[in-house]
Amino acid sequence: MSTTVHASARSGSGARGPASPVRWLRRNAVVLVGCAALAYLLVPNLVVLLFSFNKPAGRFNYAWRTFSTDAWTDPCGVADMCGSLGLSLQIAVLATLIATAFGTFAAFALARYRFRGKSTTNALIFLPMAMPEVVMGASLGTLFLNTRVQFGFVTILIAHVMFCLSFVVVAVKARVMSMDPRLEEAARDLYAGPFQTFWRVTLPLAAPGIAAGAMLSFALSFDDFIITQFNAGPSTVTFPMFVWGAAQRGVPVQVNVIGSAMFVLALAIVLGGQLAANRRKKS
Amino acid sequence: MTITLSGIAKTFGDFTAVHPLDLTVPEGSFFALLGASGCGKTTTLRMIAGLEEPTSGSILLGEDDITRLPPHKRPVNTVFQNYALFPHLDVTENIAFGLRRRGVKSVSKQVAEMLDLVQLGDMARRKPRQLSGGQQQRVALARALINRPQVLLLDEPLGALDLKLRRQMQLELKRIQTEVGITFVHVTHDQEEAMTMADSVAVMYGGRVEQLGPPAELYENPRSTFVANFLGTSNLIEAEVLSPGTAGPEQLRVQVVGADATLRLPAARCAVDGVGAGTKVLVGVRPEKISLAHTDDADSVPRGVPEDHNRLTGRITDASYLGVSWQYVVESPAGTQLTVYEQNVSRDSRLTPGAHVVLHWQPAHTFALDAAQDAAAGEEAV
Repeated sequence: MSTTVHASARSGSGARGPASPVRWLRRNAVVLVGCAALAYLLVPNLVVLLFSFNKPAGRFNYAWRTFSTDAWTDPCGVADMCGSLGLSLQIAVLATLIATAFGTFAAFALARYRFRGKSTTNALIFLPMAMPEVVMGASLGTLFLNTRVQFGFVTILIAHVMFCLSFVVVAVKARVMSMDPRLEEAARDLYAGPFQTFWRVTLPLAAPGIAAGAMLSFALSFDDFIITQFNAGPSTVTFPMFVWGAAQRGVPVQVNVIGSAMFVLALAIVLGGQLAANRRKKS
Repeated sequence: MTITLSGIAKTFGDFTAVHPLDLTVPEGSFFALLGASGCGKTTTLRMIAGLEEPTSGSILLGEDDITRLPPHKRPVNTVFQNYALFPHLDVTENIAFGLRRRGVKSVSKQVAEMLDLVQLGDMARRKPRQLSGGQQQRVALARALINRPQVLLLDEPLGALDLKLRRQMQLELKRIQTEVGITFVHVTHDQEEAMTMADSVAVMYGGRVEQLGPPAELYENPRSTFVANFLGTSNLIEAEVLSPGTAGPEQLRVQVVGADATLRLPAARCAVDGVGAGTKVLVGVRPEKISLAHTDDADSVPRGVPEDHNRLTGRITDASYLGVSWQYVVESPAGTQLTVYEQNVSRDSRLTPGAHVVLHWQPAHTFALDAAQDAAAGEEAV
């Protein structure tokens, strides 16, 4: 206690004296380090954004030449790119829906009920998160090959649901565990039947966890290259696969446009959510 | 509506939370289930609410058997411990929850009435986390009362409030109960709370009802050591019954074990069945019923001891000033440390630690309990 008082008294008297850069640095060190960390995270994204306005000389978009909005006005100007983007979005949405539904059920079962093999299930759910993607992708591919399943949309979807599921379970389970079971008792006491209790109380309370799981799923699925590569068919080229393929021959500027658009969209969603939450808190 | 519990019991695995229990809560009464934690009072309440299924026995509400009815089909509502308000709904929607579930379309008038009743009119659009403990408590009460239940169950509703607010809410709850006229069943571990609010109190201990009655009856005439110690403080003195009838048919005379003293008490206030000469009993007297006289003037008039009073001798070991009263601890050959509360009116200045005194009280204020019980039961639980 007494040291705190002394320290603040000293800094108080220092504020009245001449401003010293060392003292200023000491007081703002945390902010500076924070800004540096943010810059470290964001600079690559900004570079992608910047180069989406480039007009490269050759096929490689690695050196800045001149400002142009050509790529933004014609995002689908590259052959096959928008098709692969559509495929990726389709798979991501479907995988998210399926993984979120099943993952939520599993999370409730693991958080709320006691049954045989519960701890084993808990451990197995974590396995896809811990396993190297190469191993998972390759072994799943082998499985499909040996059971003579046609590689394509369905195999990619199955693979994506598999690895998204664990993330949904983890996110939802944490939320459900922290929910007060008395709230559901209160609902039942207030004339809500089992379905209404779930719909009006349980689900809204678990929603933040479910939303977090769904967002993670979408991002992971949209982004995945390694597992997809092992389980895709000849005609199913997802966006990450397209980018990889293009990178061998020269990256079109449109790739940067799609990347930047995704980044801006995600940023807008996060900021919008934050703003809505703030407004709700104020009212 | 009258609630009748008959032979209701609940076991969790090997543990018996509630032993077969018979209890009738009369219509319109304020009924308290009082006991220390783990005595089965909350389990009993939850069985009435339908949140716990009884292992055996039945629950009647009026004439209807509701034993197997799920909670949402019972005309019974609960104010939960720590309130269990829905955090994602505002005050209005919390209160309207029950009405909406029963398909009532226009709730605003009733919600406004309820907000008035609990004096929260300007909080209607707040979320529960923006309210203080006392305000949350009122919302929980309004949320239950708006459904006009036949019975309102309250599970330690004031437990999370500070002392002053608790006093205020006790009066408030009592006012609301009188106003709405619904049967209240109130679970609490606070004996003072039970005494101030309830018309009748069931004291529970180890999954059983120890004694049931109006607060004054329980306090003045406890039937077990647990009740004697849990509700207030009691001085319990070991004694043996002298041949009955020697003090008239209405009175019992007992010989104090370890001291040369006999005490008298009304035979009706003896909780032991079939007393005869030599029956061991615990004689009890409340601390505020005892007067102290300094030994020097014990036999003089007017400060001395009235002829017909019970008397014991002892030595003061501790005297503490409590404001409204003095609390004395007196060591007596009767074996126990006796506690005495003397009103802070005209105190004899000689009553200091070390002083030899005579303790005396009216025989009518004396009760007797079965000596086979633990004399300290219920003491530490307060």
